[in-house]
Amino acid sequence: MAEFSWDIRSPLDRALVAGPHGARGDAGVSLTEIRNFDLVQVMARRGKAADVAKAAKARFGVAAPETPKAVGAADAMLIWSGPDQFMVLSKGGKHGIEALGQAFASSASLSDQSHARVLISIAGTKARTMLAKLSSIDLHPDVFAVGSAAATSMDHTSVTLWRGNDRPDGQAVFNLLAFATFAESLWHTVLDSAAEYGVTISHSEEL
Amino acid sequence: MRITCPFCGERELGEFTYLGDAKPVRPAADAGEDAVYDYVYLRDNIAGVMSENWYHGGGCRAWLKVTRNTLTHEISAVEPAAGAGAAKVGA
Repeated sequence: MAEFSWDIRSPLDRALVAGPHGARGDAGVSLTEIRNFDLVQVMARRGKAADVAKAAKARFGVAAPETPKAVGAADAMLIWSGPDQFMVLSKGGKHGIEALGQAFASSASLSDQSHARVLISIAGTKARTMLAKLSSIDLHPDVFAVGSAAATSMDHTSVTLWRGNDRPDGQAVFNLLAFATFAESLWHTVLDSAAEYGVTISHSEEL
Repeated sequence: MRITCPFCGERELGEFTYLGDAKPVRPAADAGEDAVYDYVYLRDNIAGVMSENWYHGGGCRAWLKVTRNTLTHEISAVEPAAGAGAAKVGA
């Protein structure tokens, strides 16, 4: 019998080259791939939405989003992904599939997406201008404030987009979750869109 | 054309997939062959206001019932189709 050795690898393992990209000078866009996160999709079973809300509140101390929002808990991010469903983004296994399986055993169906998605954090003075090329939704701060989220499409690829807390220098941060198998394709599209503004590329283990 | 998803808000057409007429209702098991034939195959080709099923696959993945004028593309109503999440809207 063949022996397999499974390595955990980022979906952008080959495509991501850390460093500067595109136009020279001050980079207008910074792209950071976040690696090694736990991501669990929580979907309320029919008629159990109230039970899920209660279980989520007990587990995370905050109410799970019921509208397109991303809600920060002490050690997790709850991101709306559709009616009566949300995703739990965390690190270190505390809110991994096994742990959450207990919490939502009687109310929700769970699906581990930890290695099924790529997470890209987008910031910089030109981040919103660049995203306007890819997304048809309005990301102006008056409409898409910190904590706003959207299940939408970019480059014909389904993505979950949400605005995280601003950077210390006041710059907006947009987080993008996409299917791992579309990661390289979307990555190249993002790079092409951002190239004219100058890009800084990196990866991180920090959420 | 844009569709205002009751869960996501106004979105471009590209995020949606058209299924078809939302009017046909599955006949009872003992309704007979003609009723099943009508349900499966026969469709009205409506020039005017029509009730349609749309899927927001590029977004929240909810099924929607859209009332659309096929002549003008004017959309007069969008509501969630029966299923998960539907109970909450408008309730």
